[in-house]
Amino acid sequence: MTKRSTRAFFVASTAVCALIFLALTIDTHRKIPALTNQDALDAMVVAGKDVWHRYNCINCHTLLGEGAYYAPDLTQIAAQRGAGYLHEFLKDPSRFYSEDRDRRLMPTLNLSDQEIAQVIAFLTWVSKIDTQGWPPRPILVKGSAVPGAVVGAPAPRPASSDPVELGRVAFSSTPPGCAACHSIAPGVNIVGPSLAGIATTAADRIRAANYHGQAKDAAGYIRESIVDPNAYVLTGPTFSAGGRSLMPGDYNQTLKPEQIDQIVAYLLTLK
Amino acid sequence: MRYSSQRVAYWYFLVAVLLFGLQVAFGLLAVAKYLGPDPLRPWLPFDVVKAIHTNVLLVWLLTGFMGAAYYIVPEESRVDLYSVRLAYVQLVIWTAMGVAAVVSYLLRWTAGNKLLEQPYPLKIVIVVVMLMFLYNIGMTIRAGGRLTTTAGVLVAGLACTALLYLPALFEFQNYSLSIFYRWWTVHLWVEGVWEMIQGGILAYLLIRLSGVDREVLEKWLYVVVALTFISGILGTAHHYYWIGVPHYWLPLGAVFSALEPLSFFGMAVYAYYAMRRSGLTHPNRMALHWTIGSAIFSALGAGILGLAHTWPAVNRWTHGTMITPMHGHMAFFGAYVMIVLGVITYAMPGLTGRSEESRETSAGFLAFWLQVAGMFGMTMAFAAAGVTQTYLERILGIGYIETQLKMQVHFLMLAGTGALFAIGVALFVWDFCVLAGRPVPVARLDGLAPARPLA
Repeated sequence: MTKRSTRAFFVASTAVCALIFLALTIDTHRKIPALTNQDALDAMVVAGKDVWHRYNCINCHTLLGEGAYYAPDLTQIAAQRGAGYLHEFLKDPSRFYSEDRDRRLMPTLNLSDQEIAQVIAFLTWVSKIDTQGWPPRPILVKGSAVPGAVVGAPAPRPASSDPVELGRVAFSSTPPGCAACHSIAPGVNIVGPSLAGIATTAADRIRAANYHGQAKDAAGYIRESIVDPNAYVLTGPTFSAGGRSLMPGDYNQTLKPEQIDQIVAYLLTLK
Repeated sequence: MRYSSQRVAYWYFLVAVLLFGLQVAFGLLAVAKYLGPDPLRPWLPFDVVKAIHTNVLLVWLLTGFMGAAYYIVPEESRVDLYSVRLAYVQLVIWTAMGVAAVVSYLLRWTAGNKLLEQPYPLKIVIVVVMLMFLYNIGMTIRAGGRLTTTAGVLVAGLACTALLYLPALFEFQNYSLSIFYRWWTVHLWVEGVWEMIQGGILAYLLIRLSGVDREVLEKWLYVVVALTFISGILGTAHHYYWIGVPHYWLPLGAVFSALEPLSFFGMAVYAYYAMRRSGLTHPNRMALHWTIGSAIFSALGAGILGLAHTWPAVNRWTHGTMITPMHGHMAFFGAYVMIVLGVITYAMPGLTGRSEESRETSAGFLAFWLQVAGMFGMTMAFAAAGVTQTYLERILGIGYIETQLKMQVHFLMLAGTGALFAIGVALFVWDFCVLAGRPVPVARLDGLAPARPLA
C-alpha cells in the first residue's frame, strides 16, 4: 500500500459518507414538520424558546435529554405538572423546594407573567415532539413511581392535620403497610392491584352487576374493601385465590376508626 | 526551532495554559455546587459556572491548536511565517473575545445554546479571527511552496473547524432542528475535524520524537483520518436518537458509533508502532509522556467510554445522565488537552533556547502524573454516579432529587479527584510560566541549529 492509495481511500470514503449524511439531512428536513407538530409551532412557542435561551436554562437542565445534569430533565414537565403549577413554581421555586433538604435550589429568575406563559407554551410544544419513545419510563422530578422505593428517606411526617394528609402518611407507613402491596401508579401492580384512580373506579364498581356488597358510594366502597376485602374480590394471580382475597382481613381490629377514615379520605383523592 | 517567527507560538501557548487554569478553577466551583448548598447562588449560579467551564475549554484548545499550527507550519513548509504582526493582532482579538465571552456570561448575556452560548457579535469575531488565521497560514504555505501531509491534515482540520462553526450563526425556530445543526458544529468538531488536528499534531510529534520515516507515518495518517470520517460523519447520528428526527438515525448511529473507537485505536497503535521502532530515545521525555498519554487516553475516553453508551438500547436509559460527562471529561482530556500539552512541551526547549535535558523538571512530570491520576479518578466518580443515576432514576423511576441525594458520595469523590487534577494543572502552569524560562530574543535565534535534524 502506498501513500497515494491511502490518500485515495481517505478522499473516497469521506466523500461517500458526507454524501449519505447530506442526503439524510435533506430527508430529515422533509419529515421534521410531522415529527415535531410544526403546525402548533406558533409565535408564543418561538417566544418561549427565546426565553429558554435567554435565561440559560440548558446549562442546568436537560431538554430532550440534552443540556446540563444539575437539574431535572424537562422534556415531559408540561405534561406532568401542568401550566398552573409551573406558573407558580417559576414565580418562586423556593416555595416548592428547599436548599437545606434538597441541596440545590433553582434561582428565582424574576420572569414576567408573559415570559412564564411563553416558556410554558414552549415546554408544552416540546412535550409533544415524537422522541422515538424516549424516555422509556417517565423521568420524575421528585418522589417515585413505586411507593416505598425511596429508601432511607426520613419517616414521612404529616405536613398538616388535614385528614387527607394524615391518610397519605398512614398509607405509606408500616403498619398498616398499604404501600407494600398497592402502588398509586397506573399499571404498577406490586402484589395487590394498583390504586391509581381508585375513587373513579370505585364509583363504577358499585354499579356493576356482579357487585354484592353494601356500599352506596365510592367512599363506602373503599371503606368496605379495607375492613372486608372479600365483599368484592378482584381476580388476578396475586390478588385472590379460590374466590377469597389475599389481603389481610383484620384491619377492622388493627386500625383505629379515625385512621380508616383518613386512609379513605386520602384514597378518595386518587381520581 | 528553525525560524524566528515560530516564536509567536509561545504567546498562544501562554494564553492557552492560563485559560486552562481558569477552566479548571470553574470546574472545581461546579462540583462544589453539586455538593451544595451553594452560598454563591444569587451571584454566580451553576448555569454561569458551567457555561464558562465549557466555553473556556473550547477557547483554550483552539488557542493551543492555532499556536501549534504557527509552530509546525513554518517548519514543515521551510519558510518564515507570512506575517508575525497579523498573528499577534489575531491573538489579541481572540483573547479579548474569550475574556468578553466570560464577562458576558457573568453579566447573564448568553445565546443559551449549549456550547454555542457566545453572544452573536462574539460569534462574528470568532469567524473573523479564524479567517485571519487561515489567511496567515495559507500565505505561509504558499510562500514556502511546500505542503507536507502532516501540515495539510492539521491545517485542513482547522479550516473545517471554521467552516463547521457557520451553522452556529443561524437561528432555527424549530428547537429540534436547532439541536440537529448544533451537532454539526459540536460533534463534527470533536469527533471529526478536531481528530484530524489531533492526528496532524500526533504525526508531527511522532516524526520528531521517534525518527520513524515520514513517508510511512504520513501514509498511515491518511488511514487514521479516513477511519475518523467514515465513523465520525455518520456517527453524528448518535446525537439524533431522541430529538424529534426520523427513526433511521438510530440504526445508523448504532453501527457507525460502534466504528468510532477504530480511529482512536488506530492512533494508539500508530503511536505504539512509532515508539517501538525508535525505542523511546528522544531526550524530551516530558513531551513523549504527553504524546503517548494522548494516544492511550483518547482510546479509553473517546473510544471505549464513548462506545459504552452510544448503542441505542443502552442510550435510551443513559441519555442525559452522568454517563455523558464520564465519557466527555476523559475524551476531551485524552484527545485534545493532552495533545496540546504535548506539542507545547515539545516546543518549549526550542522556544526558550534551552537544551532538552535542562528543560526537564520534576514539576513537569508531577503535573503529568497528577493530571492522569486525577482524570482517571474523576472518570470513575462520574461513572459510579452515572450508573447509580441510570438505575435509580431511569430504571426504577425514583425522582431526580432523591437520586441526586444518593449520588452525594460520588460527588465527594469527584471533588477529591478533581482537586488532584487541579493541582496537576497548577503545576503545569507554574512549570510553563516560571520554570521553563522566557522565549529567546529573535536576534539569537537565527544562528541556532535545530535540536535534532529534520526527518
